[in-house]
Amino acid sequence: MLAETRSAPSALTARLADQARALLQESRAAEALPMLDRLGVLAPGPATTMLRAEALLRLGRLAEAEAAADVALTEEPEAPAPRRLRARIRLARGRHAAAAEDAAAAVMAAPGELAGRLLLAAALLEEGRHDEAIWFLGEAWRADPGNPMLQFRLGQAFLRAGRHAAAAELLAQCEATAPATPGLAALRAQAALLAGDAPEAERLARAALARGLVDGAVHGVLAHALVGAGRLAEAAPHFAAAARLAPGSDHLAPSSGGTAPSRAPDGYVTALFDGYAPHFEAALIGLGYRVPGLVRRAVERLLPAVAAGEARLGPVLDLGCGTGLVGVALSDLLGGPLTGIDLSRRMLEEAAAKGIYAGLRQAELTSALREDAGSHALITAADVFCYFGDLREVLALCRQRLAPGGLLLFSLERAAPGAGWRPGEAGRYAHAPDYLVACLLEAGLRMLECREEALRRDGEAVVPGLLVAADAAGP
Amino acid sequence: MSGVLARDAKEAGSRDRMVVAARPDPALPSHGGPDPNVAAAQLPRGDRTSAIEPGAPPPGGPRWRSSGAGGGAPEAAEDTGEAGRHGSHAAGPWRAGLRALAEGSPAAAVPLLREAVARGDGGGLAALNLGLALMQLGRLAEAVPALEDAARDLPDHAEPPFRLGNIAGLRGEAGRAEALFRAALLRDPQHVPALAALAALEEAAGRLDAAADGIARARAIDPDEPELDFAAARLAWRRDDLAGAIAAAEAVLARRPAHAGAARLLAELLLRREGPEAALAAVAARAVTDPAAAGWAFAAATLHAAAGRREAALAELHLAAALAPEEGEIQAALGCALADAGRGQEAEPLLRAAIPVRPTDLDLRNRLATVLWKQHRLAAMLEVLEEAIADFGPQPVLLMNQALALNAMGEQEAALTAVEAAVAHPAGGAPALMTRMAVLPYHPERGHAAALLAAGRAVAAALGPAAPPPPRPRDPGRRLRIGLLSGGLGQHPVGWLTLAGLEALPEAEFELAAYCLKPRQDPMAARFRARVALWRDAEHLDVATLAGLMMADGLDILLDLGGYGDGGRPGLLQRRPAPVQIKWVGMQNATMGLDGLDGMLTDRWETPPGFERFYTERLLHLPDGYVCYAPPPGAPPVAPLPALGRGHVTFGCFNNLAKVTPPVLRAWGRILAALPEARLVLRTHALGEAAMRQRLRARLTAHGLPEDRVALEGGVPHRALLDAYGGIDIALDPFPYAGGLTVCEALWMGVPVVALAGDSFCARHALSHLSNVGLPDWVAESEEAYVALAIARAGDLPALATLRAGLRARVAASPLTDAARFGRALAATLRDAWRRWCATATSL
Repeated sequence: MLAETRSAPSALTARLADQARALLQESRAAEALPMLDRLGVLAPGPATTMLRAEALLRLGRLAEAEAAADVALTEEPEAPAPRRLRARIRLARGRHAAAAEDAAAAVMAAPGELAGRLLLAAALLEEGRHDEAIWFLGEAWRADPGNPMLQFRLGQAFLRAGRHAAAAELLAQCEATAPATPGLAALRAQAALLAGDAPEAERLARAALARGLVDGAVHGVLAHALVGAGRLAEAAPHFAAAARLAPGSDHLAPSSGGTAPSRAPDGYVTALFDGYAPHFEAALIGLGYRVPGLVRRAVERLLPAVAAGEARLGPVLDLGCGTGLVGVALSDLLGGPLTGIDLSRRMLEEAAAKGIYAGLRQAELTSALREDAGSHALITAADVFCYFGDLREVLALCRQRLAPGGLLLFSLERAAPGAGWRPGEAGRYAHAPDYLVACLLEAGLRMLECREEALRRDGEAVVPGLLVAADAAGP
Repeated sequence: MSGVLARDAKEAGSRDRMVVAARPDPALPSHGGPDPNVAAAQLPRGDRTSAIEPGAPPPGGPRWRSSGAGGGAPEAAEDTGEAGRHGSHAAGPWRAGLRALAEGSPAAAVPLLREAVARGDGGGLAALNLGLALMQLGRLAEAVPALEDAARDLPDHAEPPFRLGNIAGLRGEAGRAEALFRAALLRDPQHVPALAALAALEEAAGRLDAAADGIARARAIDPDEPELDFAAARLAWRRDDLAGAIAAAEAVLARRPAHAGAARLLAELLLRREGPEAALAAVAARAVTDPAAAGWAFAAATLHAAAGRREAALAELHLAAALAPEEGEIQAALGCALADAGRGQEAEPLLRAAIPVRPTDLDLRNRLATVLWKQHRLAAMLEVLEEAIADFGPQPVLLMNQALALNAMGEQEAALTAVEAAVAHPAGGAPALMTRMAVLPYHPERGHAAALLAAGRAVAAALGPAAPPPPRPRDPGRRLRIGLLSGGLGQHPVGWLTLAGLEALPEAEFELAAYCLKPRQDPMAARFRARVALWRDAEHLDVATLAGLMMADGLDILLDLGGYGDGGRPGLLQRRPAPVQIKWVGMQNATMGLDGLDGMLTDRWETPPGFERFYTERLLHLPDGYVCYAPPPGAPPVAPLPALGRGHVTFGCFNNLAKVTPPVLRAWGRILAALPEARLVLRTHALGEAAMRQRLRARLTAHGLPEDRVALEGGVPHRALLDAYGGIDIALDPFPYAGGLTVCEALWMGVPVVALAGDSFCARHALSHLSNVGLPDWVAESEEAYVALAIARAGDLPALATLRAGLRARVAASPLTDAARFGRALAATLRDAWRRWCATATSL
């Protein structure tokens, strides 16, 4: 009987393949997948494998999707379609360089196909290779200047490259022809914000909301525009809305299990920011200020138990807390008190309004560290040590305030090796990596990580920096 | 589906809950024991496709099995010349009818066999085959007389009483069915289907040993019949012989790899023996070794459904249906699952195809009716239900759905009669009473406030007293968690009339939690998500689970936004998951009559002083209107007054037909009679169906509404609906169930509304909205005054043009759309209600 069913079913397999394809076209990947699994047994072959990989990609099962695409490529190594498919999968997985390789191979195999070149541009953009991405997108756009999707992508690329004026122009054009392009309104407002025009960003975002558009990114840009203008109370509901509308946001999860989150909020702003912190970096990226997000990522890397929710963080000392953005970024990981120190009363008031900090002190950093008797599981200094030239004293003080096993995370602006520390613009300093290493040694700290990061954008330029993680060396 | 009228039609009484209420959830695998209806109807597979030809082997013989091969051997009939022995001119209709039946075309066979019976051809066999053909078509009521004739004319034949027994079983007449099966066995003790059917009745009655004996006898006669293995498997299970049951179910699947019943049973047996994961793994492993067999996919679907994984279950059902497109039960299961998923267009052809294959499945008819309901195809829905009532008798679930269909068609009197029959039925219970609450407010005479109060109290009495309130910290000033219970959190009247106010509710004081009873993907739904801190998809949760979830979530106040309507959960309110429970928009047409509800949001127009006597809820008066309208962001501009260009006035009513009562038609007839140039446009989704238009035309004519001056238009997308107000000068509101959102939309589009106020809550919606924008003088208090008002307003075009030009600005400046003002008022009212609870209850 088995042999019979396996040999007979050409009509059956054709039916399954047709239905699976139709379901995929209707964006019903979950329903197509069992048919494709069964087809893989009944009639294995590259077409089935490709459809399966596509379905898995759409379902977000990316590792399996890539494995299926690998198989498809071994079956048809020269074909551009499986290359493009794997490029899309790799892009979705964040494997940008590998995606770029696949996309490039697809372009070489089928130079006339736009899909391959657009994929290549997307991968290059994600890799930070803006100029190359812009070249590919520009070429495509010149060939089809009325295509709003190409205008949108090129505008996005210009924005990533920091070329705000060009981005704004293209995005405005795109809006004139295709105002409903997904993501367009948020990108336009973001372009205005990045160009330093917060009022225009606010105007664009509010206009989009008034048109009935509902997009977490628009709320996010609006929130940041308002924060930038010091209007934190107004920003808060928009931060909340951005978090609630973010893909994969927890509060959208279906409740079939019936377990209730015991998240009864203590303070109202805490509740507002609840759920936002995990998306924080994404929201700030491209807005010119990445450090709070980088701090969060470092905590997730270095304290995996905290990231997994098995342990809580605290007590935490936030040096130069400003408006409390690091607090927001860490808010859902906190178990102990979070104390913020800053010189600016106005900044501290804004931080207080977030309701995350257990204590806030207006003080100069080194004196505050001398007076502090605490023992901290984490000390952060985001965009603060760039106001110090010589780091030895402040690092030594931090060392004294770290609890056993405690972690120090700070950012620096990067100078060339051998330069020691040198003054830069606007009263800030840049520090050389070798100088940093020497300072850490002298302060009794052990370097755990030193990552080169772009800290923020300054007009057209990206400010190169370091994100440093250290703990106490020896007993 | 963004049209107002889609919404209105839903308000008109959609009530999926009602449709579903009186039956076990059919998408899920079956439960403990067999359904007596189905058990009694255990037809031998394929019997339905077989003609009983003259000269066939003795009854009870190979018919059982040979039928699966495609319908017996009508040629044999010709060979034997049997037909010829029964009539001298037997050739024509008798032979042709027999052939059509044998070829699987019962619809073609019916008229031929009728003719044969009339001509006396074929002896009793013509009547017997006519009965079979009608049964195959699901026309059970018509089949009965034919079979009774056959039973009389073929006194030795077991088939006629056997078939009559099947029909009796379907109608729930177990005693009669049993007698008929025994009669069949007296005629032919070897009649295997009768033995099996009798055993199924024994099984349903819990006489398991007798049932097992019967099946054993049948298996001795016909050892190769998988249906008997299946019956044996079921019995083994019920007698706790898990291993025997599994072996028997596997034996069925080995012979019939797409046997849905066996696959489902096996899945349930494995689940019980091995637990969910191992069972799924076992089924998956067999699917790999036997990849073309549909049974494993069907078994996997059963396991997914049992674990609440509806999407995965649907996917496996798709696969099973693709593997076995000829298998009626699988196609039916897929149709039901798609209908459950709200995919009616895909479900309809599957359900329609499954009904003749499973004519005895009442649930399929109901499902199809529900699908048609959602597509606003009311005449088609009514047809399905009326056929089902003819076949299955006046069962409450059918009567309730019939009532909803009739009501939505604007036939309120017939609707009420149907639902009263369901209420009077011994099995009607609380669902029938709740369905009555969905129908009664529309009734032109009986839909008044006092009658609604009495009907609501009857529901409360049936549901039993409300549970005591759950404990919550009694701090009057603290931040409160407010639950929203609704199927309308999106582009729906609930959305348009609550969202702006909820957005304006200060988040510092009120945290919102949504319990969403119908998933929606529109921009309004996204705005709800952006405002709400805790989102729960509760569509598939039963009320006990949902109440538990709400208590665990720590609700302080629950806002009911469903009432007795679409997605309403009156039973949940009686479980009292929140200490303070308040009724707001969403089938808010009267008191609910429940002691589980503490308050109702209202205003001074909806419930002026003295109206408290019509409500069991405390009336919580807001300072302006009881709702806040969110005008649609993309609304087209207000068009100039059409009468100025046309030279005559065009009236319009874009409400659903449930609201269009005979007195409304009478009033409209008088208005059009007084204004011989005037036109009337009715626009609603239900009018997209030709049969519905025809039906309404007849009623319009009867009320003196000239056909050439009344346009009947179907539903259109929301933006187009708003555009259509550009062709309307004056909107005529219906009564007693007034327009709600429809009034707001007409006003926003520059069209003033002539309305009539009654005494129920829904009879005063238009009064509330019109008063809230400063137009109380557009509301009449009698039918006479309504007619006069419409005629007078139509006679002053300059005044109409002026009003229209400024109407949107007037609405925009009025409290009806002032979200900030409404938000403050709502906050104060909710806080008051909370304080009252903190103050009056005993301390914890």
